[in-house]
Amino acid sequence: MNELYRIMQAKKDLNNKMKLIGIGTGNSDFEVDFFRKKYEVPFPLFSDEDYSIHKALGEVRTPYFIGVRLKSDGSSEVFYSKLGGFKDADKFLKMMRELSGL
Amino acid sequence: MTRKKHIWIVGLFVIFIWIAAAYAQSPDFKKNIYPVEQLKPTDSVLKVKVGGLAPDFTLPAVRGGKITLSQYRGKKNVVISFVPAAWTPVCSDQWPGYNIAKDFFDQSDAILLGITVDNIPTLYAWTNQMCMGSGNLWFPVLSDFYPHGAVASKYGVLRSDGVSERSLFVIDKKGIIRYLDVHDINKRPKLEVLVGELQKLEK
Repeated sequence: MNELYRIMQAKKDLNNKMKLIGIGTGNSDFEVDFFRKKYEVPFPLFSDEDYSIHKALGEVRTPYFIGVRLKSDGSSEVFYSKLGGFKDADKFLKMMRELSGL
Repeated sequence: MTRKKHIWIVGLFVIFIWIAAAYAQSPDFKKNIYPVEQLKPTDSVLKVKVGGLAPDFTLPAVRGGKITLSQYRGKKNVVISFVPAAWTPVCSDQWPGYNIAKDFFDQSDAILLGITVDNIPTLYAWTNQMCMGSGNLWFPVLSDFYPHGAVASKYGVLRSDGVSERSLFVIDKKGIIRYLDVHDINKRPKLEVLVGELQKLEK
């Protein structure tokens, strides 16, 4: 994930239009903070201690990715929703760009 | 005329329980987790207390050999983590969490002993799957299988259905119980509470 973030940041043409955040399902602030430091996570992480975000998004197993297109009129659209991590950050980003149209 | 900008922002959300992200845990693992309904939060009567001597025991370890609690006397602080059963949801999150939090135990010169009432082959398969691709658990996992739940019973954390409570015991180098938590079996104890208790111990 850290590599994906670094590649995203390095792509000038993305112009900061793509954001990456992480959510710690069932984790406290302390646990998320510990995790951030231990793995030197450069992108924002949020705790979801009471599982409220997790429930709102359908109680998925982890790791789970959701790609959301935020439109200028304030609406949003999910363009990717899948269980499981990835091995190649470059390929994953390429796929995300194709799916999102960015 | 203001040119209307169409700004498309893509948010990529990664949702994880910290173990999952840390270990890129296989989703296949989760398929092997037996679904458990909400259970009565606790279902036993404690036989030990804070300030008392922790009952000694000897149990076989998954990696072979036996471990006796009193072998750490005068050498290490000890945290005992009883979890109800292998292959169940909360337990399959709790220990991987401790596995990446080793630093906190080291800072307090503490060892962790993980105990369930499962037999060795079951614990072997479960802990291997738990840590797939990330090395081993750094702490010993002990089997309280036979006589069934004898150690859990000695501490008063054996439930009426034969599994142990989700419980933590922090024991100092003199063998005295400094903290205990018989937790709601349905919930994972928060790391910060245990870390806070570890920090109170003499190193």
